[in-house]
Amino acid sequence: MDATTFAALGEPSRLRIVELLRLDRLSVGDIAEGLGIRQPQVSKHLRVLREAGVVDVEPVARRRVYHLRAETFEEIGDWVDSFERLWEARLDGLEDFLAATATDEE
Amino acid sequence: MVLQLFRKKKELTFERTYAAPIGAVWEAWTDPDQLRQWWGPPKTTIAECELDLRVGGRIAIVMVAGEGMGKYQGTRWPMEGTFTDIEFPHRLVYDARSWTEGKEDTTTIEHVTELGLSEDDGKTVVNLTVTLNEIGSGAKMAAFGMKWGYKAQLDELDTFLAG
Repeated sequence: MDATTFAALGEPSRLRIVELLRLDRLSVGDIAEGLGIRQPQVSKHLRVLREAGVVDVEPVARRRVYHLRAETFEEIGDWVDSFERLWEARLDGLEDFLAATATDEE
Repeated sequence: MVLQLFRKKKELTFERTYAAPIGAVWEAWTDPDQLRQWWGPPKTTIAECELDLRVGGRIAIVMVAGEGMGKYQGTRWPMEGTFTDIEFPHRLVYDARSWTEGKEDTTTIEHVTELGLSEDDGKTVVNLTVTLNEIGSGAKMAAFGMKWGYKAQLDELDTFLAG
């Protein structure tokens, strides 16, 4: 059972970090300041989020900044879209079916 | 942005107007022989279709990928659920889960489907709401490895998103 990623997001502080990262790319220090959590704690949370594929880190000048991994969230969007498209196709199918049935009855 | 996107899409709503009387639409949706003729999107077939039309009754439909679906050909997508509300000919509600056969653990989606029908000048307006409750990490979500199967955590996420 791979609950890693979900567990990563299921922790309140980590969700707040994700919420903050929606707005901007931030360093550990920025996040600590923004949320009022000690830096070592923030680092610990960021490690969990990284391992779960939720965030990535990159060097910018002499800082290391964290950002959300777009791919991860796009996967979710794509998946939901595919479900939506299935229903669109199905409702089109119903239209064709009803039209054909009405013709038969005439 | 992204989490909001997910929240926004968690409930899918559709409205269509069909040039058919309400009774015909109701039958198309509740008679297995009729339902199997339109339920599958293009390139799929319906291998099984069972509807026990009473509250607590079972709905079970298996879609199979046809030739046109290339590497997916032969893949079976079952959907199985229970009717929770039936008000002929206006309202049909069922709780169900859908999955990819052989990958039940990782692809199961739980959803509630609410169908509303109303007649307007000989035409039928279909209002459909599909609410996705729990989402397993399917093929497309494998990269993320995200499991939505833990209700408590999902509730927490909901609270977060609402905040």
